[in-house]
Amino acid sequence: MSMAAEPRELRDDVLNGLQLSTQLERVWRTPSGFLGALMSVDHKVVGRRYIVTAFVFLLLGGILAVLMRIQLAGPEKTFLSADKYNQVFTMHGSTMMFLFAVPVMEAFAVYLVPLMVGTRNIAFPRLNAFSYWMFLFGGCFLWISFALNVGPDVGWFAYVPLSSLQYTPTKRPDVWAQMITFTEVAALAVSVEIIVTVFKQRAPGMTLDRIPLFVWAMLVTSFLVMFAMPSIMVASTSLILDRLVNTRFYDSSSGGHPLLWQHLFWFFGHPEVYIIFIPGTGMVSAILATFARRPVVGYPVVILSLIATGFLSFGLWVHHMFVTGLPQLGAGLFTASSMLIAVPSGLQIFCWLATLWDGRPVYRTPLLFVIGFVVIFVLGGLSGVMVASVPIDTQVHDTYFVVAHFHYVLIGGAVFPLIGAVYYWFPKIAGRMLSERLGRWNFWLAFIGFNVAFFPMHILGLIGMPRRVYTYTADMDWAHLNLLSSGGALIFALSFALLLVNVIYSLRKGELAGDNPWNASTLEWATASPPPPQNFDRIPVVKHRDPLWADNESLPVVAGLSAERREVLLTSLAEAEPQIREASPEPSIWPLLTAIATTVFFIGSIFTPWAVLWGTPPMAVALIGWFWPTGSKEDEE
Amino acid sequence: MTEAEHSRLLYWAGVALGPLAWGINLQGVYVFAHFSCETTKTSGTILSVLLVIVALAGTAISARAVRRSAGAEWAEVQGGGPRTFMAWVGVGSGVLFALVIANQLAASLMISPCLR
Repeated sequence: MSMAAEPRELRDDVLNGLQLSTQLERVWRTPSGFLGALMSVDHKVVGRRYIVTAFVFLLLGGILAVLMRIQLAGPEKTFLSADKYNQVFTMHGSTMMFLFAVPVMEAFAVYLVPLMVGTRNIAFPRLNAFSYWMFLFGGCFLWISFALNVGPDVGWFAYVPLSSLQYTPTKRPDVWAQMITFTEVAALAVSVEIIVTVFKQRAPGMTLDRIPLFVWAMLVTSFLVMFAMPSIMVASTSLILDRLVNTRFYDSSSGGHPLLWQHLFWFFGHPEVYIIFIPGTGMVSAILATFARRPVVGYPVVILSLIATGFLSFGLWVHHMFVTGLPQLGAGLFTASSMLIAVPSGLQIFCWLATLWDGRPVYRTPLLFVIGFVVIFVLGGLSGVMVASVPIDTQVHDTYFVVAHFHYVLIGGAVFPLIGAVYYWFPKIAGRMLSERLGRWNFWLAFIGFNVAFFPMHILGLIGMPRRVYTYTADMDWAHLNLLSSGGALIFALSFALLLVNVIYSLRKGELAGDNPWNASTLEWATASPPPPQNFDRIPVVKHRDPLWADNESLPVVAGLSAERREVLLTSLAEAEPQIREASPEPSIWPLLTAIATTVFFIGSIFTPWAVLWGTPPMAVALIGWFWPTGSKEDEE
Repeated sequence: MTEAEHSRLLYWAGVALGPLAWGINLQGVYVFAHFSCETTKTSGTILSVLLVIVALAGTAISARAVRRSAGAEWAEVQGGGPRTFMAWVGVGSGVLFALVIANQLAASLMISPCLR
């Protein structure tokens, strides 16, 4: 690689071995101390925080689920009041969708994508830190509100007119709407970073058809986030405006329309399902290839499926609105697309089955979770094709059949691959293996508990049990199935407790992992476990779709990047040919301060429109501080 | 083959035209359904047929790119032929979205546009 020489600058081509590692670690490390931790812009540090925080929200959301199942375990129970139950199911849905499912997928991407594409940090690392703080503050805002009995109680989709000021004159819907703004800002920021990292920071030689499937999945997901999230931000902001300054977007008596809310919400809400599911498919592809001991069959077919699913996900939203009185022709069109999205999903399933069939599978815990995913997701897909049909949907709308369906899709499609991914990548992140024995117990408890909890809900829905009821009478004949479902939910919850025990135990006493304990093929396994601050001492050169299987002993590298300041290599979009060296930002406290100022602005603006006025100057000051020229070399480049 | 010759092959056409045609069809027929019930069937059919042709044209252009320059790259399991790769994805994408449009056309032919 030829690069313009700069006098007396120390480059990584004049250092070797330990000397190079030490020098790069000094340049790339996160500053020590509490303040240093707050300033970190290392994608691994931010990614770890994101993952842990998202799992804390999973735990909180899971506790709410258990509370609901205790309440519904028998008829006319008084464990939760009607008002508390409304808050609990709203908090459960909002937490799982906005504070767990989307963030945890992006969190894995923040940690893994730079490693998998062979670069030293994510693009826009300060934006990455800002994104995490916004996510954390948004989640805390929601949960502190709940603790103060101001938790939202209007469902995770907050339909108007229920969420309008007239019918809910408390601050509960405002809390929900502004939490959305927090988490969407965070998600959009991460999406921008992922897209730029994948397009411009891939290792030399990693052409479009050598990108790992997990990275492809996160690239497609990031585009989905960028096109879907603005819709919900418009919706939540206009809802706040309706409630705060009487703008009447959704007031039919003043020319507004409640259905506008549903269109805006579901234009985001349906792609949201795929924003959660597509990363899961990427995890499945990564795990399958490693444990089947062969590359995934039909690499281009899988990518075609990812792209097609991404596009089609924007054409299904009306199937959530079949009972709103839309023209039947319109409903028919959306039925057609809803059924056709099964085609790309089916193609992927067949590619994965063929990979297992043609491989030499090693049934370790991550692969067990992948097999669990295939079984559960196919069942969820089948009930999905059922509810895509207008006549069936009209019958089961707002019943427990739909609750069963979307839990099969979301837990099967995303949580099972995710837990498999935890077992798969934990050794890379922590440097130690998770216990295989506890892992197998974890899988079987999760698989059995999940099916016992959610399969009876199909039947409950078909015999007429509606969603969101806090209790039911004994003469409805729903008690036995509800008790069974609650029992399954407790077993399912136990499986997560076991995962937590496994993580805590293995962090201290787990077997040391080494660089590549699974003999996997992608670049994150080419560096130490856990990776050093600089990720790689020298940037790898990729000559094969499975670089570590092709060049296991001597992975070619490229040299010439600075060893005295943070620098990444930018490459071309299609061919990944080296183009320029780019300075990577130093640690900074300004992303945190900007997030604090934005938080004050967001929370204030649900109480008074004046917050927009007095909330802006602190944000402006923080942003000026963020972008203020520091005189460091990064500004001279 | 030079960069300019590559760019003239439009290997990505199927990836772009398939989803674009489907998006126009979905929105177009959905809009027609709101405004009229007498003529929607004819206008919707014409629109859908035209857009199936557009999606398949994307497939044809991508297939031509494969035939012209990218066939040899396809055989390489290790990758390294991004243009051929995108061309093949384009071939599949055009066919898939033509299928979706045709499925929606079938739905619109079976359901009376006047049904509310």
